[in-house]
Amino acid sequence: MASRIFAALTRDEGSSDTDESPRREEPSVRTDGGTVTDGASDATTAAVGDDASALGRLRRSRFLESLPFWGPPALLVFFFVYGAIAWNFVISLTGWEGLGSPDYSSLSTEMYARLLSDPSFTAAFRNTLVLLLAFTVLSLILGLLVAILVDQKIRIENTFRTIYLLPMSLSFVVTAIFWSWMYNPTNGLINEALRGVGLDAFTQAWLADPQFKLAAIIFALMWQFSGYCMVVYLAGLRAIPESQYEAARIDGASTIKLYWRVIIPQLRASTMSAAVVLVVFALKAFDFLFVLFGVNPGQSADILSVMMYRVAFDRIQWAYGSAVAMVLFAMTLGVIGPYLYVQYRRGEL
Amino acid sequence: MARLELDSVTKRFGEGDGSVLAVDDVDVDIADGEFLVLVGPSGCGKSTTLRMVAGLESITDGEIRLDGDRMNEQGPAERDIAMVFQSYALYPHMTVRQNMRFGLEESTDLSDEEMDGRVDETAELLDITELLDRKPGALSGGQRQRVALGRAIVREPKAFLMDEPLSNLDAKLRSQMRTELQQLQADLDTTTVYVTHDQTEAMTMGDRIAILDAGELQQVATPLEAYHRPANQFVAGFIGEPSMNFIDCATEDATLVDGGFRYPLGDEVGEAVADAADVTLGIRPEDLSVDASADASGGDAAGDHAFDATVTVVEPMGDENVVHLSLADGPELVATVNGLRRIESGTDVIVSIPENAIHVFDGDSGDALHNRSLDDAELDDARV
Amino acid sequence: MSAADRLQTTIAGLDRSRVALYAVLLALVAFYLAPLESGFMTAFKTPDGFRTTTPFALPPLGEFTLSAWGTAFDRLSNGLLNSALMAVPATVLSALFGSLAAYGLTNLSWRGQIGVLVLFVAGVFIPYQAVLVPLTQFWSFVDLGGRIPLALVADNEGLINLSITHVAYGIPICTVLFRSYYATIDDEMLEAARLDGASAATIYRRIILPLSVPIFAVTLIYQFTQIWNDLLFAIVLVSNPSNQVVTVALNQLQGSFVQQFNLQMAGAFVAALPTLVVYVLFGEQFAKGVAGDS
Repeated sequence: MASRIFAALTRDEGSSDTDESPRREEPSVRTDGGTVTDGASDATTAAVGDDASALGRLRRSRFLESLPFWGPPALLVFFFVYGAIAWNFVISLTGWEGLGSPDYSSLSTEMYARLLSDPSFTAAFRNTLVLLLAFTVLSLILGLLVAILVDQKIRIENTFRTIYLLPMSLSFVVTAIFWSWMYNPTNGLINEALRGVGLDAFTQAWLADPQFKLAAIIFALMWQFSGYCMVVYLAGLRAIPESQYEAARIDGASTIKLYWRVIIPQLRASTMSAAVVLVVFALKAFDFLFVLFGVNPGQSADILSVMMYRVAFDRIQWAYGSAVAMVLFAMTLGVIGPYLYVQYRRGEL
Repeated sequence: MARLELDSVTKRFGEGDGSVLAVDDVDVDIADGEFLVLVGPSGCGKSTTLRMVAGLESITDGEIRLDGDRMNEQGPAERDIAMVFQSYALYPHMTVRQNMRFGLEESTDLSDEEMDGRVDETAELLDITELLDRKPGALSGGQRQRVALGRAIVREPKAFLMDEPLSNLDAKLRSQMRTELQQLQADLDTTTVYVTHDQTEAMTMGDRIAILDAGELQQVATPLEAYHRPANQFVAGFIGEPSMNFIDCATEDATLVDGGFRYPLGDEVGEAVADAADVTLGIRPEDLSVDASADASGGDAAGDHAFDATVTVVEPMGDENVVHLSLADGPELVATVNGLRRIESGTDVIVSIPENAIHVFDGDSGDALHNRSLDDAELDDARV
Repeated sequence: MSAADRLQTTIAGLDRSRVALYAVLLALVAFYLAPLESGFMTAFKTPDGFRTTTPFALPPLGEFTLSAWGTAFDRLSNGLLNSALMAVPATVLSALFGSLAAYGLTNLSWRGQIGVLVLFVAGVFIPYQAVLVPLTQFWSFVDLGGRIPLALVADNEGLINLSITHVAYGIPICTVLFRSYYATIDDEMLEAARLDGASAATIYRRIILPLSVPIFAVTLIYQFTQIWNDLLFAIVLVSNPSNQVVTVALNQLQGSFVQQFNLQMAGAFVAALPTLVVYVLFGEQFAKGVAGDS
């Protein structure tokens, strides 16, 4: 999972169990005599560890030694990821449409200007933000609650965890099909259940009514990804030493106070990493909407990733699609950039 | 077998303003077969020094020579040096035999039979033959320690480097391994550099010890020399447990003064400290004599070097008592007295600071201006 | 004390809050499983059956049928095969590349590696939309089928392109997964190996690789699930219908049998089967991959 990075990056000091891990208890090997502060991270030490000026030879040889290992994968990544993004940017500056090839000779920001005056872009942009925010917050809350419940030393914990995480292993295509059936106005489980408890008045054509479309999508996505939040939070909870619960109880804190004031504040790192991953999933939620609505979810549920596909591959307005893609990329960067920077500064990269 | 020379070895981490000088201009000449202990507080640069010798860390300045050959540009594999790590660093997925063979397979052209022969021989030497088919995960800490040693010995390197190899063992096993390691080194007669922060290990194991502080070499000497003739106040305080008492004093007419505390000096010492205005008086706890006070015994608290004091805390260690004293005139001292002697906190006593046992250090540089005299019986005892 | 008495005391002794706890946990099980259970039941019903019963109810007698499963399997079998042909090599290669990169960027430290690393980590989060247009351009330039005169290549061009694409975009996450594991490997052990005379390649082959089995399991399972489940790259890069992977086939099945929910549900399960099997067998590893504590 993308999250694993974060779990790894944010893994705070005490979080690993006490197995044989001499490296943890013994950072002095590298830093001996070198670093003055405790805060000096492995990364920093490693960065300065290979010495500076005079011994370039040795350093170069270390560089050369490692190159065969990371070089080829890096080449693939740089070409396919960063090369492609740069190329995409250039395409977004052309006016390329239809069959044929892009004309790279005249570049302009016309496509971006067009974005600003396109009402469907405004709608998609707004929906993307709503989806992002609501989906992330709701999934985090549900995930946290489930994690706290699972953390109560319950029996067959593994079985519960496995069931809660199960939706995460399914393809968007599969879950979209399940949920289109769940939301079916006449036979779907949601409406059946509402009728079953006498709430006939609340039955809706969930996926057809513009009023409920986006909410229905968010709910389904939350179903799929809250299990993931649960797992991240559970790891965070397990990292908090038992003694803190005991100390708080001795201090007379009620369970709710204990969690609210002692435990949850310590889960900030878990929250941050889970949130970043959820945002990225939300930005990528294309598959789910595409299966439910095809390329036209309608203004009330259109999001940028669907719009990009529609514009580029359905209407074959390549340059315009690339411009939408750049906006999507910028949004991702807006979330990931600060996060990576913080991680880097904390030496947790 | 080799002579190992460190010539003005310097290590700087980082560049420019942010750089840290970890090892500063260290010179040590280690004779063939010698057991040198590098000792100092954590962060003093001892491990970095060892890692430079191993080739795991580049050398910023200076030169490391093994048998006269410059090693600076050689990779760790080319130096024919074996190292024992604090974490033992065994390969967890290999059996003990495979662990010990690994180095032979990678760095020699020996045949399978020769390698197995060497492994068996070394295992026997270390008494780990029955562990050869186990994996490190199934071994106790002490056993892993032996395997780590075996992995170094089996390669028959020119020099052993040991980085706090005993620090993960419990106290009893540690003192047992200390003796064994010494014996082993003497039998193999291989040049050894041993890094530790534990001054007991330094005192008991090394032919010579090199004391480092803040990247700078303080003294290279035999353990007893470092104990009795410390080059400076740092060495004096670092070697010895409980550590040496220090009293910061001013010199006034061949007398050391600290508030009401006055310690007149004889000619010889007086001359040695004549040029320094601020000095530190040093005295080992075992050199203080603690006697019943005048009131109790009716004796005289006379003598220039005797002072009234009160016992504040007594720590009985069995063989000796560690007595914390508060002098009437200010300074606090720690003395050790025979464990059979009854002494209680709160009692008033007379403490004598014999002049032939004092050290005096320069107040600014910390350099030793005067060390205790060694031409009396104590030294002979010490030499036995 | 009789058995009944004992039972009664046990029940009385049960903390009310524990009962409530398990009740909530079971309600959550219902929440997370309801869509699957409803789908599963529906897949066994005739059209009349799923129109007249509650979705989660067992199929009534006479309305039970396996025909939906048969049709779904017929429709998706080619997609299943294509997905397997595409996903398995892509999974193995991206994991292998990830392992190599993580080793080079974690256990062999050199100045500036943090910069390379940041680019890898950021690569995990790139929305695929940002590369779709250039990607289609690129693969049409490359034109593997046109350049390599082999029927095998020409017939499976779409799958090959898709597979390579998945390898490239899978490398960042695989690298990150491996890196977090390799960072826990004792540096001193690798230094010991260097002093023992082993080269970087030897250390990788004889020490790192044998120690990587658990993280390979985690990465392979996660990566297989991801590649198998992808739809976006597949619809963009595969045009030849005979190369269609299972997600695309399932989406078409859904689109062409709009009101046949039994068929849709059966199709969804058939398409999800490999990932479900992997999840049921290796759920622990999957969870570990998510949580980051292998």
